[in-house]
Amino acid sequence: MIKLEDVSFSYATAKEKSLKNINIEISKGECILLTGESGCGKTTITRLLNGIIPNYYEGKLQGEVLINGNNIKTMELYQMAAIVGSVFQNPKSQFFNSDVKSELAFICENMGMHPKDIEERMRKAIKEFSIEKYIENSVVQLSGGEKQRIACAAVSTPNPIIYVLDEPSSNLDRQGIILLRDSIQKLKNQGFTIVIAEHRLHYLREIADRVIIMDEGEITSTFLAKDFFLLSKEKIEKYGLRSTSFKDIGHKSINKTNFLKNELVFENFIYAHKGQQECLKIDELKIPQNSITAVIGNNGAGKSTFSKCLCGIYKNSGTLTINDEKQKYKKRLSSCYMVMQDVNHQLFTESVIEEVLLSMDQENNERAKEVLEQLDLLPFIERHPVSLSGGQKQRTAIATAIVSERQVIVFDEPTSGLDFRHMKEVAKELKKLSDKGKTILLVTHDLELIFSCCNFIVEIERGIVNSAYPLYGNTRKLIDYFEIGGNAVEEKKVPVPPKKTFYLRG
Amino acid sequence: MKNLNHKTRHFIVDPRSKFLILLLNSIFVFGGAGGAHPMMLPIRHVLIAIPLFFLLFEGKGKSACIAALGYAFFYIIQVTYFGLTKGLLNHMLLFSIGFFVRILPNVMAAYYLISTTTVSELISAMERMRFSNYLIIPIIVMMRFFPVVIEESNAVADAMRMRDVRFGGKKISKLLEYRFIPMITCSVKVGEELSASAIARGLGSPMKRTNICNIGFRGIDFFVFVFGILTIIVFSTTKM
Repeated sequence: MIKLEDVSFSYATAKEKSLKNINIEISKGECILLTGESGCGKTTITRLLNGIIPNYYEGKLQGEVLINGNNIKTMELYQMAAIVGSVFQNPKSQFFNSDVKSELAFICENMGMHPKDIEERMRKAIKEFSIEKYIENSVVQLSGGEKQRIACAAVSTPNPIIYVLDEPSSNLDRQGIILLRDSIQKLKNQGFTIVIAEHRLHYLREIADRVIIMDEGEITSTFLAKDFFLLSKEKIEKYGLRSTSFKDIGHKSINKTNFLKNELVFENFIYAHKGQQECLKIDELKIPQNSITAVIGNNGAGKSTFSKCLCGIYKNSGTLTINDEKQKYKKRLSSCYMVMQDVNHQLFTESVIEEVLLSMDQENNERAKEVLEQLDLLPFIERHPVSLSGGQKQRTAIATAIVSERQVIVFDEPTSGLDFRHMKEVAKELKKLSDKGKTILLVTHDLELIFSCCNFIVEIERGIVNSAYPLYGNTRKLIDYFEIGGNAVEEKKVPVPPKKTFYLRG
Repeated sequence: MKNLNHKTRHFIVDPRSKFLILLLNSIFVFGGAGGAHPMMLPIRHVLIAIPLFFLLFEGKGKSACIAALGYAFFYIIQVTYFGLTKGLLNHMLLFSIGFFVRILPNVMAAYYLISTTTVSELISAMERMRFSNYLIIPIIVMMRFFPVVIEESNAVADAMRMRDVRFGGKKISKLLEYRFIPMITCSVKVGEELSASAIARGLGSPMKRTNICNIGFRGIDFFVFVFGILTIIVFSTTKM
């Protein structure tokens, strides 16, 4: 079905080869999981399979890539689109239409099929993926998991025989992953060939047939899935991979933290977007000062709204009390700081050092260099922020937060789509900041990251705080929260807790 | 491009009629063709009213009413008080009248076209008007790209406030640069992903594209076209 023979590839913009002598043979109906550290070349392979390389991303391609017996070099992209369906990482940028219906019809329309035929195919896809209830919706109204499900349904309309998914779970919450897993399972049951490039492995436990691990553009090992998912945690970590199961995620190593007496008190954090219902309604919430608090909850639960209110970006949104000082939103603009999910939004200047100086009240070169040295950024001080790697950009943003003497730092999904090593690096930075006396809030879906550094948990559901508890002694509860059990595709109704104030326990 | 639920779609105008409305508005209201001929005056008012009325039926009554009131107010000022004032006030009036009486109606016609048409309807309409693919694809990509740019721009604005880069804050001279550079780099990235996804879904294939959406002329389109012809007839009589 798919055959890669001695394939090497280098992007036109890069000196290094992204793929080196890759040989893979995939037979019909197989589900292949490609994994490895960031930059190992797994995305490049998916791009070869759906023809985006060499037709869109240019570069030097050696070796043969055969799809269903055809060489991709001789095929046009629109021909590939008929046999290979592609689902991409970012739900935001993979939809071309604004409504679900047009998106479902899009590929068939591009192929010039007869409208009657298209309607028939759409009906089939809608039934197959049980998406009747979304069909009249606008794409923006859907959650991440629903978007990926629509994407799967949309690419299935021209009846491709191969499905290529590039990190489909990286923006998804727990329920999104359940939906996604179910969608992939449906494709597999129909006997299609599936190739998934992914960091998060646990949800593919029962789906993958073969696991290919890559490193620096080469295949380092290949496993049958049943063997791979039995590997010990140490082995998996040695490959630089994320946990394959929540069971051995390492919660036993969590020590009891003695929190400071002081608390951050959030009062009346209530916010509604213009002309909409309240999406955040926190009457009172207390978290220990100097803690690393994980803010968890499904997509759309109000986590981002909460962090934006906290940083004072949304106006007139509650009071925060730190050290007996009441802070309104205006004050919080200069006392709290957010490291955004897309750090590119907050780096403005032409060099790293300028970036740090900009955040200082009084520009002080010595102090700036000192902070940059702590964050291992000293060699890059003259570089343009855009030219840095993702982690370096993140650290630059952290540096700007440190020099501006902020008390509270919020991280919005700092590890979405990061491999094990980079995740650990982020955890290390967070701990360092906490040691410096900063209070850190971490909006995340990443259970491994929480276990690597957090010590307090706040669970938000539909705009209210569902519960708030220290991590020590509650690990089971947290794992249960993240565990993906059974076929729980239906949204669970979360009971509204009667208590409105949450105090520290334990 | 807005998504439209079927509930609100009892009033469908063919995108080609919307194009015609926009075109007529551009020529006769914004461009002022026909000059101050008394016959052109009612024609212009109907031209301005059509998109506002249609917006009203599409459930966008609020913006239609605001635009109508703004227009009416400044139109009345134009015919009654204008010329009686002097100096700065006169300049400000001139500017406001220019905006509300000439530019705003055109903006509303464009807003009507964009906010009430789905991408696939637009493609379908442009195809029936025999537009070339070389024109259609850039136009729809641009349409898809607008909301992306706005979203990125808002995120950058949030970050700027957090970092105290604002009027009255730090580095006022660099405000524009700090806003645009990250916005452009982020938009380019999304744009690249967007086009990769679109071509992997077969956009731009040389085969003739089909379309499932039902566009076609109805009674209301007939009215628009008849009025368009009327406008041109009146315009040519003013030239005689």
